[in-house]
Amino acid sequence: MLSLSGLWSLPCNPTASAQPMEQFIQQCVNALQWGSFYALIALGYTLVYGVLRLINFAHGDIFMVGAYISFFVSTFFLSSSGPALSRDLALALTIPCTVVLTSGVGVTLERIAYRPLRRKGVHRLYVVITALMCGLVLENGNLALLGASRKALPDLLDKHIYMISGIAVTNLKLIVICTALLVFFALHFIVTRSRIGMAMRAVAWDEFALPLMGIPLDRVIVFTFMLGSGIAGLGGMLFAMSYPVLDPYMGAMTGWKAFIAAVVGGIGDIRGAFVGGFLLAFVEIMVAAFLPSTFRDLFAFSILLLILWKRPTGIFGMPMSTKI
Amino acid sequence: MDTTVRDLSQKQGSALISVENLHAGYGKIEALHGISFHVEQGEIVTLIGSNGAGKSSTLKALMRLAPPESPTVTSGEIRCKGQSLLNVEPHNVVDRFKMTLVPEGRHIFGNLTVMENLHLAAWTRKNEDTRKSLDHIFGLFPRLAERARQRSDTLSGGEQQMLAVGRALMTNCSVILLDEPSMGLAPVLMYDMFRTLKRLNDSGLTIVVVEQNARLALEVADRGYVLDTGEIVAEGSGEELMRRPEIMEAYLGG
Repeated sequence: MLSLSGLWSLPCNPTASAQPMEQFIQQCVNALQWGSFYALIALGYTLVYGVLRLINFAHGDIFMVGAYISFFVSTFFLSSSGPALSRDLALALTIPCTVVLTSGVGVTLERIAYRPLRRKGVHRLYVVITALMCGLVLENGNLALLGASRKALPDLLDKHIYMISGIAVTNLKLIVICTALLVFFALHFIVTRSRIGMAMRAVAWDEFALPLMGIPLDRVIVFTFMLGSGIAGLGGMLFAMSYPVLDPYMGAMTGWKAFIAAVVGGIGDIRGAFVGGFLLAFVEIMVAAFLPSTFRDLFAFSILLLILWKRPTGIFGMPMSTKI
Repeated sequence: MDTTVRDLSQKQGSALISVENLHAGYGKIEALHGISFHVEQGEIVTLIGSNGAGKSSTLKALMRLAPPESPTVTSGEIRCKGQSLLNVEPHNVVDRFKMTLVPEGRHIFGNLTVMENLHLAAWTRKNEDTRKSLDHIFGLFPRLAERARQRSDTLSGGEQQMLAVGRALMTNCSVILLDEPSMGLAPVLMYDMFRTLKRLNDSGLTIVVVEQNARLALEVADRGYVLDTGEIVAEGSGEELMRRPEIMEAYLGG
């Protein structure tokens, strides 16, 4: 993991010499961006857990796959031997392609790994271990296929830096934060207002009774994986645009942390995933900003531990009541 | 007795539901040892028997629900409207064969409101106007109308049972299987529930009901089957079964 330390360095602070207050606000902006990635991944964890009570440990690697898919798709669109599209058009097309293809990967995983186990009615523990292995297969499959060399996502966006009273905000940061917000509201709408969202909530409570209403359980589950993986794909792409160096293990640590964020928020609750993601990012960035950066994870996770100690089911979690 | 039952059912080619020599079990343990029965259109049929006799297993097998909660059919046949149900998925039993189950323990979606529960049950009726069905259900169970916007896990046991039945009606099924609808209900509510079932039956609904409270079930049923450890040991009209002292003693508590 040491060789990857460059990847884990947090967004640097371009106004290091600024006033403490400005520095704090600057760090808040950075935390919002960093938290957006955690939130986008945590939403997928919480969706699948909320509906199926399955911790899909392959989810962080789905995020990685999303980043790679965006790399291949955008490289293809831009290549002179291919369609050679303009950058704007390539960006506009890469987003839907990445989302669709990544959700395809998530659905495939459900189909070949989780569904057969579910059919046999095995204990959830085995499905969770299977998910863990699926994640490792994705990581190492990527390593075997593409080699250890890192890929760099082509530039899809002209970077603009806006200075607002001494605080630097890039257009990409704004896009990332707005996307996370939009995804959250869209997801909230789907889950609380749509028919399929109602069915997802129903599965969360009692999957036995769902077929008795004439509702195909598998379709609801596939839809859940589609949503979760699609969002992770979008997150992976935005991550690759923000830190354009891809490697097969990029999803592992980020995925674990997003999972922890989801648990702290109250796993199974989409508000929890969202809030937990931002909370973790804030703690991480503030610790790194004001203390030696080697303290970051130690402090961040100690604080999360304290939160869980106080509220074992997370911030929004209620023991075995309304999930999702 | 076993052979005569089988002979009878084989003559019933036109039955709405016919079960022929059904063997089913959980893993290696067989729960149903070759049961045969039939249900005609518009009937109320009851399956009675003591705990572990295989009543619930029979209903779950009819619905084609998946293991581990439900038994796997190893041999025999289940037909509905002449077609085999063995390779039909449970949601298609509801969608295509218009048969659904009100499960034991109600299994309502406690995190949804009463209204959401009912709307969800109309899943297969996507483009239909369901307002008439809603009015019908609220007419049968006025309590549900009062509590329409309430989270359904806040309902009392009786109201939850009403919701479970209402939900089944909302699917627009013509056959409803009920597993222990009286469980946990006060006697007054129990009689109310069975009166409502009788009314639904009068308007054309076919009902198969599994009951611990056999006397109550036999009073409303057209016919009954007595199950004992996975086999059908007696059958007949409700009155007939209640008149047979040995059955009353063994299964109906005197």
